[in-house]
Amino acid sequence: MKDYFYLQYIRTERKLREAGINPYLAYLLGAMAFVGLSEYIFYQSDYAEYLVLLTCLSLLLNLSERNRIDFLQSTFGKKRKTVIRLVENLALSIPFIAILIFKNAYIECAILIGLTCLSAVLSFQTNFNHSTPTPFSRNPFEFTVGFRKTFLIFPIAYALAMIAIIVDNLGLGIFSMLLLFLTSLTYYLKPEDEYYVWVFSDSPKSFLLKKIRVATKSISMLTFPLALLLLIYFPGEFHLILLFFLIGILFLWAIILAKYSTYPDEINILEGILIAICIYFPPMLLLTIPYLYSKSINKLKLILNDKN
Amino acid sequence: MIKINGLSKSYGKNEVLKNIHLEFETGKVYGIVGENGAGKTTLFRCMAGLESYDGEIVSEVNPLENHLGLLLTDPFIFSKITGKEYIRLLCNARGKTNIDIESRNIFDLPLGQYASTYSTGMKKKLAITAILLQENDYFIFDEPFNGVDIQSNIILIEIILKLKALHKIVLISSHIFSTLSDTCDEIHLLRKGEQIKSVQRPEFQTLEQEMKSFLIGDRIEKLELK
Repeated sequence: MKDYFYLQYIRTERKLREAGINPYLAYLLGAMAFVGLSEYIFYQSDYAEYLVLLTCLSLLLNLSERNRIDFLQSTFGKKRKTVIRLVENLALSIPFIAILIFKNAYIECAILIGLTCLSAVLSFQTNFNHSTPTPFSRNPFEFTVGFRKTFLIFPIAYALAMIAIIVDNLGLGIFSMLLLFLTSLTYYLKPEDEYYVWVFSDSPKSFLLKKIRVATKSISMLTFPLALLLLIYFPGEFHLILLFFLIGILFLWAIILAKYSTYPDEINILEGILIAICIYFPPMLLLTIPYLYSKSINKLKLILNDKN
Repeated sequence: MIKINGLSKSYGKNEVLKNIHLEFETGKVYGIVGENGAGKTTLFRCMAGLESYDGEIVSEVNPLENHLGLLLTDPFIFSKITGKEYIRLLCNARGKTNIDIESRNIFDLPLGQYASTYSTGMKKKLAITAILLQENDYFIFDEPFNGVDIQSNIILIEIILKLKALHKIVLISSHIFSTLSDTCDEIHLLRKGEQIKSVQRPEFQTLEQEMKSFLIGDRIEKLELK
């Protein structure tokens, strides 16, 4: 187990060094940026505690990927796997928990601690072998696969939205909508095998537009009923609901473009930092999206034909 | 027609393809043979545009890769995607929508099941079905017969002959010589990245004998089996 954590540390250092950043400087800057951005969002937004919760949850979701859990269980056994996951989840959540305590958001802090522990023993990524029907089969791939892997999230998000309406809490309602967006973003985090890019008889531009169009259509199908519910029950705050809906769509575009901007490698630290800045300052998306788009075009030119 | 002129490919200092010159004509089936590491798969990847290379690859229909059905040795299949969705994904990628997949399921695959649960042979049959339904002009089959049951191999041989009759260009690599002699018009032998010889149908048997004696040599004796 000690070796496992040491290896994780080594991997992180290697990734940072490969990105040309001194690890110690990165840790220092990361901590400063985290505190600074947290202060900024608590100063700027009434929903800051939900945003903190959501950010932490998205990172926890990544750690509960099925293959990773299977690897841990087969290597370390069930008991030690649970301990590893608990340690990892807590290590990840502690900065967020600290911020929430510091900001007196004790209820959100308790929810976060609960979810941190719960996700160490549960996987939100389902593994049934029968084929689950999805509304995305006409354009198979990211949403078809992702929906099946994470479909338990959807009833949870809709249940949260119903609770939000009953207790008249728009913040919770928006959180449930963002949870759907967040889940769908994870469908685009890992680069696919190059065959599945090569096979497209598209130029890089039309390939990206096709990916963005399908993703926008699919996420709209998932979130529109929830957004509509919120609009009906919180008509006075329609501008806020639509704003978050739009931001969710823009984030989806940014993640798709971030994936292909480093393709066939995984999204690297620079793109990760850019996305992180956008989380705390969404107007940055308007600069980030064109930047990632042009980087993606250059990367895809190596695989897709640019002549047609 | 596909013409390869002076194709070379290196990974660092390791030259895996050395000045290859080949020409493939419409309505013909070509075999590419060689030991593991001879450069067959690299040649296919260069033709598909998956690798950069020195030299030139020219085709009648352009861009070649958009009209090429590529069967890789070990087709990569996502988890949580059914056989039918896999085929639809590959067809959509080539702009072929509204294809009746069920009626063209000639290998009787359980298309409603997750493709990741298929056996090796079933995965290969699924990948073959998908690239056939893409309606390509050119086909590269890298080890199509490996892991596939004998009944399906018979069907596959007939499919290749049908593609030939439809004036397609088909390239096959296989370690099972009989499958090549059943289907190919010409066989090209590669060894350590070099093009050793090209052989027409009447000389296939001689090539097989030559390959056998070269490959086997005195290896069996060295084992000193008792």
